Amino acid sequence: MAVELRPPAARPDRPPRRPGLGDTLRQAWREYRSMRTALVLLVVLAAASILGSLFPQEGLSPQRVDQYFTDHPALAPVLERLGMFDVFGSAWYMAIYLALLGALVACLVPRTRALVRVLRSRPPRGGDLARYRTRASFQTPAAPDQAMAAARRVLRRNRFRLASHEGELAGEKGFLREAASMLFHVSLLVLLIGLAYGKGYGYRGQAAIVEGETWANARVGYDSFSPGRFFGPERLAPFQLRLDDFTNSFYPNNTPREFASQVTALDLDGRKLQSQRVAPNRPMTVDGVRVFQSDYGYVPVVRVQGKDGKDLVAAQEVLTLRDPASEWSTGAVRVTRASPQVGLELTMFTGLETAPNCPGGAPFCNDPRLVRPVLVVLAYQGDLQANRAQSVFTLDRSRLELLGDRPLLLGPGQSRKLANGMVVSFTGLKQYSVFTLARDPGVPVVAAAAGLLLLGLVPSLYVTRRRVWVRAAPDGAGGTRVELAGLALQGKAAFEGELARLAQQVQRGTLDPPDRSP
Amino acid sequence: MSPADLATTSDTLAWLAVLSYVVAATLFGLDFAYRLRWLGVAGLTVTVAGLAANIGAAVTRGLAVGRVPWGNMYEFSIIVGIVTVSGFLIWVARRPEIRPLGVFVLLPAVLAMALGGLVFRVPAGPLVPALNSRWIVIHVAAAITGSSVLCLAAVFSILYLVKERFERRQRPPAPPLVAGAAQTADRVEVDQAVARHATIWDRMPSADTLDHLAYRTAAFGFPIWTFAIIAGAIWAQAAWGRYWGWDPKETWSFISWTVFAAYLHARATAGWRGRRAAWLAIIGLATLLFNFYAVNTVIVGLHSYGG
Repeated sequence: MAVELRPPAARPDRPPRRPGLGDTLRQAWREYRSMRTALVLLVVLAAASILGSLFPQEGLSPQRVDQYFTDHPALAPVLERLGMFDVFGSAWYMAIYLALLGALVACLVPRTRALVRVLRSRPPRGGDLARYRTRASFQTPAAPDQAMAAARRVLRRNRFRLASHEGELAGEKGFLREAASMLFHVSLLVLLIGLAYGKGYGYRGQAAIVEGETWANARVGYDSFSPGRFFGPERLAPFQLRLDDFTNSFYPNNTPREFASQVTALDLDGRKLQSQRVAPNRPMTVDGVRVFQSDYGYVPVVRVQGKDGKDLVAAQEVLTLRDPASEWSTGAVRVTRASPQVGLELTMFTGLETAPNCPGGAPFCNDPRLVRPVLVVLAYQGDLQANRAQSVFTLDRSRLELLGDRPLLLGPGQSRKLANGMVVSFTGLKQYSVFTLARDPGVPVVAAAAGLLLLGLVPSLYVTRRRVWVRAAPDGAGGTRVELAGLALQGKAAFEGELARLAQQVQRGTLDPPDRSP
Repeated sequence: MSPADLATTSDTLAWLAVLSYVVAATLFGLDFAYRLRWLGVAGLTVTVAGLAANIGAAVTRGLAVGRVPWGNMYEFSIIVGIVTVSGFLIWVARRPEIRPLGVFVLLPAVLAMALGGLVFRVPAGPLVPALNSRWIVIHVAAAITGSSVLCLAAVFSILYLVKERFERRQRPPAPPLVAGAAQTADRVEVDQAVARHATIWDRMPSADTLDHLAYRTAAFGFPIWTFAIIAGAIWAQAAWGRYWGWDPKETWSFISWTVFAAYLHARATAGWRGRRAAWLAIIGLATLLFNFYAVNTVIVGLHSYGG
């Protein structure tokens, strides 16, 4: 940030002017772009971010926000009004970082001007060299102008910008520090602009595809869809995805090892565009949209027949919700054509184990590997209330009563009769894969800005700015006395040694005629 | 050796390292308190031996699990020990006079490792699929190095605050013994007398030196931390489809970044230099520790792997 110079004191012969509104505003502006303001805003931004990690966030885990509302019915609405469940999208958070960005711009402008001015001007005269704390001097038999020529060579080799004043050589270096610092700060601005651009014009969504099926990239195909403010659904790229195969595996201790989908992208006419294995950390890019493997689950195929053998539900693929800890899945089948209506609650085990084989004395447990699939069916009858919105994975049991007194266990290919004479069959098993699809047009901007930011950061901390002045005068004994003085703006501790080394190099240079080394 | 043997060897070596660091810290402490040089040199030797055991622990663990040995909090703690201690040794090689500060470097390292071993130890095992990426090498390595170095900077800031307070209380320093010291013929005797009356804090480097040390350390750690965050964002983009999502771990690494950025700015701001800046570094340390210990175990997020 700019070095602030105090305004010159009012001259005594002029009556002191009363400070007007303009002065107050100017003072406020100067205060705003000062480093102190930036510092306070940085600390405030950090403190505000803490809130975002203490409360559950809508964008991150909406279920946990709902849970919070249930647990704290009095407090939650107040917190919601304060934006505590969407801290990073709230107006006050935005106000803090916009104020910080404003301060950044306000201080970058005068800094840029100052840097340009310094770069255009010549290194200034040193004045009285005796007043500098860091000095060095030596005697040499060479003539004064030879000594100055040597000094010029040495300083140039050490990458000083030079200016010759009368009887004095002035050198300056280390502007890279300021330039790099500005690159860092400008990159930070560009990064945030890229972030906002990508958020505004991009989107994110999740879609589930069952093995063997083809999914079209349209708004209706997404289970969840969060578009940016300026994203229109007409901008969804025209393609389809086919899940050819899904595989998952486990380590011997039953922790997940890997899961992957073999995916083929097709255009709308069904022509193959590309085919790839999509796995965690291995996304596929189709037409600017990135497709990520995010989850998977099981799809038992269930058939329900009436007493007369007619199909009430013919080979339905039932999407189930997988519990990642136990690897068993739950789902529901609604037999709306029966009267009274019948609902089936399904629990699908990949490998059902019972008492002696289970840890901790549990009556039953599940082997996550697909070794012994079993479908456990619990039947209900009554009113399914199917016209009301409800989760596809569960039944609304408020108007249902249990049918029969025990659950039915079905292996693949098996059929069982319900208490009312209907027959349920477990006819097949497939898997589905859940993909996150995302388009973020801001990524190239953000990536480039992040790279430049890092590039600027290191020199802005490590390059040191120095000024050096050299004078040479006859010492009265036929030789020359060379004086060096310098000023270090950073890294003052090391400067003493640096100047001494420069003096040594110049001394050696005066003894070493220049024509020997071209 | 079988993976199980390697894992056992690793555990033994890790405890050996902790033990050596405790011994070395004691030796440095005695060197610091009583100016017993030979104890300090012995401390260095023990530190080097401990570092060897520490590296051995990481290598055998890596061989046992067949991947980089920084997949969970326990393994992370072991690497923190390596980074901190080897960084300190490199520094001592360049500036031997800071050797007595070893006690303040080794104790945090010991604490981190012991906590890792007692609370967060998990048996050697493979990683969940989401962590199977070459970015774990880059991102986590940078995060360990950056956070260890920034923690060290804060340790120096704490020492600075203590010493600064001491210096303020000492002013004006006019012990009569020192006044004529330059003229006294038998200087050694005077020095010994001063040394007898001096407290531990006299022997600590000056407040200015500690402040400078803290700044240099933070200026070294900050770019590494920045890189760790950027590398994490690149990985997140590949794994989750977004480079930034305000996951608790991301949020807290951003908070630490902001606080240390404030520290670096404070060092160049009138009215903030010195004590206030040092407090910022200490707040930064608190955010780093919270990020590692609390966010991994208490707060639910995408980074809850190692707890």
